[in-house]
Amino acid sequence: MDMQDGPERIFESAATVAEAVAARASGAAVLAGGTWTMRDPRRGVTLPERIVALSKIAELQSIEVFDDRISIGASVTHSLLAGAVSEIVGLEGLAAAATGAANPAIRRVATVGGNLCATEFAAADLVPALLALDAEVELALADGPRLLPLSEFLKARAALLKTALLTRVIVRRDVIASAHIRLPLRKAGDYPVAIVSVARSSDGTVRVAVGSVEPVARRWTALEAALGGKVATAEEAQALAEKTNDFIGRDGIETEGWYRREVLPALVRRAFAALRKGGAA
Amino acid sequence: MTVTFQLNGERCRFHEDPMTPLLDVLRREKFLTGAKAVCREGFCGACTVHVDGEPMMSCLKPVGLVSGCSVTTIEGLSSGDQALHPLQAAFEAADVVQCGMCFPGMVMSLSAFVRDNPEATRPQIKTAMAGNICRCTGYERIIDAVADYLAVQKAGSQAKEAAHV
Repeated sequence: MDMQDGPERIFESAATVAEAVAARASGAAVLAGGTWTMRDPRRGVTLPERIVALSKIAELQSIEVFDDRISIGASVTHSLLAGAVSEIVGLEGLAAAATGAANPAIRRVATVGGNLCATEFAAADLVPALLALDAEVELALADGPRLLPLSEFLKARAALLKTALLTRVIVRRDVIASAHIRLPLRKAGDYPVAIVSVARSSDGTVRVAVGSVEPVARRWTALEAALGGKVATAEEAQALAEKTNDFIGRDGIETEGWYRREVLPALVRRAFAALRKGGAA
Repeated sequence: MTVTFQLNGERCRFHEDPMTPLLDVLRREKFLTGAKAVCREGFCGACTVHVDGEPMMSCLKPVGLVSGCSVTTIEGLSSGDQALHPLQAAFEAADVVQCGMCFPGMVMSLSAFVRDNPEATRPQIKTAMAGNICRCTGYERIIDAVADYLAVQKAGSQAKEAAHV
């Protein structure tokens, strides 16, 4: 790749969300921290010819903590998120996801929005953590904002992001404990083989989400139903996970699909053990 | 599009593609070859530089995003005729300096880490190095040297405080 080759790229720094949405609608690719996009050439993908950078939009960089919810701007980095939520009771899982992903230099740059919008990135840590918290995402469109559950967003992500910009993530504060258990083959920056995130709400509801096993993270609804709102021990949760394991693992560089699937019950045990201790793994 | 930023204290302009990795601008245009192009995927840390004082992977940083920022490379941490950065001096004194492939990145990561974490424990030092891979597996003596450096700094600041009592 010679930096002199190719047509002149259009690189625009949007000053406002409206400018970014307009640029996206006319075909520009959205650039946040760049840690995913910059590896396009390594994946055999040509870098986009037109780019709109979000780094100058101040409103996307804030985290607001309210009594009933927290609102996380799309350009908030993993390290900023970790700092902001590490002391908030109930958000232990999100803090662990933000603290454990990748490595320190990547966490300083990679954003919440990038983690949720990189459609090909199966091993994203924040996605299962936020699914377990039943988070919502706010999208900006030409005709105004739209709020929808993260799980719905993930199903239609590629189509939605042709015209929408993810601006914020909203997390309700009705969760009393959560945990995020990831299994990398080596600690130093590897993508996790599998991720299990769990959260217990004040009404007793337990949500379980799995990342990195299938191409897109999802809730483990069969296990949630089997748990039926009971307070399960770690071993009971593991046994139910073995019975309800309906995941089809994806093959990848780190490991084969069957292994990702097979480790899930053990990760469920660890997650529930952490949950009983108040979330700290 | 022209990108303007501070590079080791001097104004720097780049007139080509803003999606060029900062690493390539440093090495090919500015001939600052201390940052190394190894994995180009943000895993190995050999290309670590400071952007506005924070260690980042220059391989994954489009130069367009450093517009208006201050970039410091290993060459700018201390130029040849100045005193070394205190952590560099500590590494030299402890004889833990390794080959030039991973080590500049380690110095860039750890110099910011000791600045921000004067009370760091050994596990925290290890966690801080998770993004700096040495294929020769040279870690433990570097961790020892960082721990010793922090202990010396702490003793020094305590002695200063005692002198003011």
